[in-house]
Amino acid sequence: MPEVQIPPRYRGPTNGQSQIAVDGHTVRECIEAVEARHPGFLELVFDTQGNVRLFARVFLNGDDLGREAADAPVDSGDRIEILAAVAGG
Amino acid sequence: MGGPTGDRMIRVDMTHQTASIEAFPDEWKMLGGRGLSARILLQECDPRCDPLGPDNTLVIAPGVLAGTAAPTSGRISIGGKSPLTGGIKEANAGGNPGQDLMRLGYRVIVVTGQPADPERRYALEVEADSVKLIPADEHKGKWNYALIDDLGKTYSKTASFISIGPAGEMRLSGASVACTDQESERHPARHAGRGGLGAVMGSKGLKYVAVDAGKRPARKPDNAKEFAGLCKQYTKYYLAGPGQEPFPKWGTSVGCVEADALYTFPYKNRVEGRSPDVETLDGMRIVESFEERGGGMHNCMTGCIVRCSNVVHDKDGNYKTSALEFETLTLLGSNCGIASWEDVADLDRLCDEIGLDTIETGAAIAVYMDSGGMEFGDAEGAKRVLREIAEGTELGRAIGDGAAAIGKKRKHHRIPVVKGQALPAWDPRPLKASGITYCTSAMGADHTAGLIVEPGQPQEEMAEASQQSQIVNAAVDSSGFCQFMMLNLDELRGFYGAFYGEEMTRERIADLGWEVLQDEWEFNRRAGFSPEDDVMPDCMKQDAIGPAKLVWDVPSEVVAQAYERFENSDELFQLRS
Repeated sequence: MPEVQIPPRYRGPTNGQSQIAVDGHTVRECIEAVEARHPGFLELVFDTQGNVRLFARVFLNGDDLGREAADAPVDSGDRIEILAAVAGG
Repeated sequence: MGGPTGDRMIRVDMTHQTASIEAFPDEWKMLGGRGLSARILLQECDPRCDPLGPDNTLVIAPGVLAGTAAPTSGRISIGGKSPLTGGIKEANAGGNPGQDLMRLGYRVIVVTGQPADPERRYALEVEADSVKLIPADEHKGKWNYALIDDLGKTYSKTASFISIGPAGEMRLSGASVACTDQESERHPARHAGRGGLGAVMGSKGLKYVAVDAGKRPARKPDNAKEFAGLCKQYTKYYLAGPGQEPFPKWGTSVGCVEADALYTFPYKNRVEGRSPDVETLDGMRIVESFEERGGGMHNCMTGCIVRCSNVVHDKDGNYKTSALEFETLTLLGSNCGIASWEDVADLDRLCDEIGLDTIETGAAIAVYMDSGGMEFGDAEGAKRVLREIAEGTELGRAIGDGAAAIGKKRKHHRIPVVKGQALPAWDPRPLKASGITYCTSAMGADHTAGLIVEPGQPQEEMAEASQQSQIVNAAVDSSGFCQFMMLNLDELRGFYGAFYGEEMTRERIADLGWEVLQDEWEFNRRAGFSPEDDVMPDCMKQDAIGPAKLVWDVPSEVVAQAYERFENSDELFQLRS
């Protein structure tokens, strides 16, 4: 199963969980699988058009997928890593 | 003249209207900014003094590395006993005065005393080999932009300015200290906002400080080759890092959507953690305005690579304000139920003109609205209230004195402050380790003292996370580096070591940060603070937000753990400000 790694900033919806194994064949399906278990997670990663948010980056096995990461194919054993960019005041 | 390092300091006695140059003590060599301010206040200022009386001390201290070629390292700290909290206070700002003071070799300006006549105004002129206190009565009551416009006609084009507006002159507890940015117009748009230090400057009759560094070169490091290598290396790393992308492109204001999703975008005096107006307040709307109206992103100080500061124009393409930040959009926007970023831009400009902290003022207006004084969302009413502050009406003064003052006057129950200072946007209910910072920092509720954005963090990790963040931020705020450079302690000690040509160990840099906190805590202890002051207001414990019904529920014994030093860990040295 692919594994989604959750950055500290986005662990509110996951109740502090840092990695979650999910079923899914694309990045979107994997994120939606996390959302199904932990409502509120998806909107941290994707905007309403389904693009990666400005303050998030999605890496697949270490490769930055850019803003249109949602449809990237994912295999069993892949690692989806979310990076939350800085934000201050 | 000139101490062991050749550096100097300026002492100003406002009682006798004298200014003099002294050698900078060698034992303070590694201290700058917030750390130097804390040490001077602890050694030279009576913590029990009246913050607006002659015994308070105003400290103006650039960071250790200001004036050097290090990127984005020219921030300047303003310090003193706060009229808002009654404790020690440091607020820092960008702009050019910090760079200019340090290029002249002035490590700090210490202002003491008070003129016998409170109606008099003075100005301090700082040049390479002279400092002079001059009468400035003709500038009394001027708003910041008009003041700088007038000063620009008489001073050299290379001068930068530190000033106060009417709020500081009226000694209001929400008053800020303005610094001019690096643009040729020298906008007074960079503010040391928090804690009412503009009122301390006003209480001393000091309307402005003019610093002219002419064409003085950058400060020379002892190990110039290593220092230059670090500057190049870190600049390359910073600009390449994917995590840093949003700041130079769009600034902090595009953090609204993320903060909203994290339930830390306060709405209507913080009764909710999300705002239905997030899309119209989001900084991307500002970015979208650049193409048609002009404006854009710029660096607030010479040598800045972060470039997080936006320049906002009005519909006619004229300059309106800079920078319109996340905290301002939140506190003066969603927290007041105001939905338009353009209205918030107007409010931001008014705050900069009058010389007010946008966080404290936004929180105060929200308390006023919540207590029935005005409808939430009344943007024109909010602008009217800000003008009343400048006019000195009874209502204006109460709001200008901050959220606690207007809340007390209105006998309102929901006053979101810690140690008398309004909570910033980053909310302690989802971000509990940040809440520990707000409770234990000598500054009161201040996200720049140690922000930890880790919702869902286990409670047993919170105190250490807060302490580590407080140590790192205290060290960074003493260095002159902007927190948005996100240096960790290992990187910071590299810069210190190369600048002074001596080894800076991990232990020493961590101790430098920790000693700042200790100085500040000791000042507050002597001022009469106790653990009973380390508490969240009742509204944070009672007003639940979000589907998880988040409230502040961290036990006091967990909060108190942040005072006991944890062992230095690798994590501490890798943590970014």
